[in-house]
Amino acid sequence: MKASTILGLNARATLFSYRYNTARGRSVAASKLRTKKCFKKAGIPIPAIYAKFVRSEDVYAFNWDGLPESFALKPSKGLGGEGIIVVKKRDKNLGTWITTNKNKVTVDDLKLHTMDILEGAYSMGNVPDAAYIEEYVGRHSAFRKYAFRGTPDIRVIVFNKVPVMAMLRLPTKESGGRANLHQGAVGVGIDIATGITIRAIWHDEVIRFKPETKRKLHGIKIPGWTNILEIAVRAQEASGLGYVGVDIVLHPERGPMVLEINSQPGLSIQMANGVGLKKRLEKVEDLEIRDAEHGVKVAKALFASVFSSRVKAEEGIKTIDVFQEITIKTGDGRRVKSAAKIDTGAWRTSIDKNLAKSLGLLDENNILWRKKVKSSLGEENRLVINLTMWIGGRKVTTPASVAKRLSLKFPVIIGRKCLKGMVVNPVVDLEEKKRLMEKTYN
Amino acid sequence: MKKKSVFSWCLGLLLASFVGFGLFASSEVYAQTTTPVKARSSVSLSPSPSPSPTAEPTIAPKVDITQKTQEVVGPLEKIINEQTLGPVWPKNPLKYAIRAAVEAGVPANTIVFLLLLPFIAAVIAATRHLVGLRGFGIFLPAALAVTFVAIGPVIGILLFLVIITTSIVFRFITRKLKIKFQYLPRMAFLLLFVVLGVLGVLFLAPLVHQPDLANVSIFPVLVLVLLAEDFSRVQLGKSAKTAINLTTETLILALLSYLFLTLKPLQEYALLNPEIFLLAVAVGDFLMGKYVGLRLMEYMRFRKLITSK
Repeated sequence: MKASTILGLNARATLFSYRYNTARGRSVAASKLRTKKCFKKAGIPIPAIYAKFVRSEDVYAFNWDGLPESFALKPSKGLGGEGIIVVKKRDKNLGTWITTNKNKVTVDDLKLHTMDILEGAYSMGNVPDAAYIEEYVGRHSAFRKYAFRGTPDIRVIVFNKVPVMAMLRLPTKESGGRANLHQGAVGVGIDIATGITIRAIWHDEVIRFKPETKRKLHGIKIPGWTNILEIAVRAQEASGLGYVGVDIVLHPERGPMVLEINSQPGLSIQMANGVGLKKRLEKVEDLEIRDAEHGVKVAKALFASVFSSRVKAEEGIKTIDVFQEITIKTGDGRRVKSAAKIDTGAWRTSIDKNLAKSLGLLDENNILWRKKVKSSLGEENRLVINLTMWIGGRKVTTPASVAKRLSLKFPVIIGRKCLKGMVVNPVVDLEEKKRLMEKTYN
Repeated sequence: MKKKSVFSWCLGLLLASFVGFGLFASSEVYAQTTTPVKARSSVSLSPSPSPSPTAEPTIAPKVDITQKTQEVVGPLEKIINEQTLGPVWPKNPLKYAIRAAVEAGVPANTIVFLLLLPFIAAVIAATRHLVGLRGFGIFLPAALAVTFVAIGPVIGILLFLVIITTSIVFRFITRKLKIKFQYLPRMAFLLLFVVLGVLGVLFLAPLVHQPDLANVSIFPVLVLVLLAEDFSRVQLGKSAKTAINLTTETLILALLSYLFLTLKPLQEYALLNPEIFLLAVAVGDFLMGKYVGLRLMEYMRFRKLITSK
């Protein structure tokens, strides 16, 4: 892989964070209480807040014994998951709880810790901070076997309303139940298109199994993936940050919730996915994305992991002809046959405008983006749509450009991008070609 | 914000103290052709409010200076005088200004340190921006480097290690005894212990008869004590390992800066060609700011990604 596809600290700051993140957005992201306020207003799901402490009087005035069985005490401006106490259940003695790390804490401990937070022991530059107590979000059943004690979360990097890369962060024994990679949590890369994990890293090294076990970390299916991505995009829109890392937890009953956002998300996510982030960011930098749904669609089309083609390789290499009959999925879900030509000189697949229109593929929801193309006929605005088709029985989903191909014999040209795991038989069967050209499709 | 201002304040004080005693000392400093380190320490006593164990050195340089300022000129001043200058504009305005200032009595080494300071800052920025060492910001290594110049690298590192050890031991003890203080009282307590540690080192002076040790002035020590605050803040927030790594990196940066600060050819070049020197530093800073590629240490971190496929 080229080094230029990888995002480093310099590029993250100069090209993305500083350029696309407003001062307001950054200050919203720096304070978790402000983040929550902002998301509450925008209707984005967040864990409930039980109490807020801004001045030391608040600490004394609060009825600590009235706290529920489980909760989390956090600093508003904490860094890297520091200064968080997560309580899972009540101890036998009144006013005592047991943390996720199986330590006992008393009301006095909690008070002292809160005072510490207010003094700024965990904030950047030790400026006075606020503390809050929020609902404890337990582990979702999908992750029960993979995380050690703490709650795993999903980090989604969103840029320009497109979820660009995602990672599941699993707490380990070493990280003490926290989901921060530099504290020893495991990062698991996730395929944007399917929500299935690809590979895992621990301390920047690739691992196959959960530490100290024989439990595979790839192939985990994350429930409600599209919903998670859409919430991440909506969080980005609401925050005022153009480039952001959104941390999402899966509530066992109430589904995905945004925990916090980060205006300078970590770079290890690239190791976890085995892909450079810079190239992906550049791909979506100039796109015009309408809303979360559109952004997620574009992301799924652009960033489908190579591993989906690995699955194909396991099925065996498929041989196809230059002139091929394919099946296209229409806008209303029907399957329609069409003639197509394989063009290994083209990268992207293109489809005739009339055909696309008649199949209902030019619906606004199906248009990924528009691009300007200069040709001998002058400048024209070409659409790129989401196209699902079956080539030789194999399902391929891809962005396809829409062109006026009236004078051409085949309404669909298949580019190299869709031919992973296939070989093209170069011998042209003229009979077959003629048959395909004369056959009329509807 | 606050941290920065404290350090710049300290740096300013340090430089001011250089100006102060440099006035009296510079001629003597370079006449001896010793390293500026030793010379600095021998004179740093006069303006320092710290208790001086011996009285003789304070008097001696003063006597020397009053006698010799007229006849003996320091090597840096000599170099300036030897340089032949063309017209003031466009290439020589700073040279003329420096010459006039030196003639008016501003010590040449104050000017040299001021000229080298942006260069040091650029070097520290480069180690961070191009190489990837972290350290504690940019002011701390720079201040530490100036401290090393003032009290010598050996004593500087010794004091530094004493301070670090004190803060680690303090943390260890409070944890063992389960003493739970809030942040500010805890930091105040820590500073008390650090001061005790530094005093302990100074009390060794009558035993080891090291003039360097005896002549430690307050401002360099103050910088070191402030470093202890930073160190233990990282230690409290993160792991001890991170804190030690950061401290080692800071120390390396400071030593590197110290080497540059005391490098004779560099000093002379900066003094004789201040225009070109400052412009080169500015251009270097600008180019560095424009660099958006991977840092050297990021190449190492991501090397498996880069070499894959």
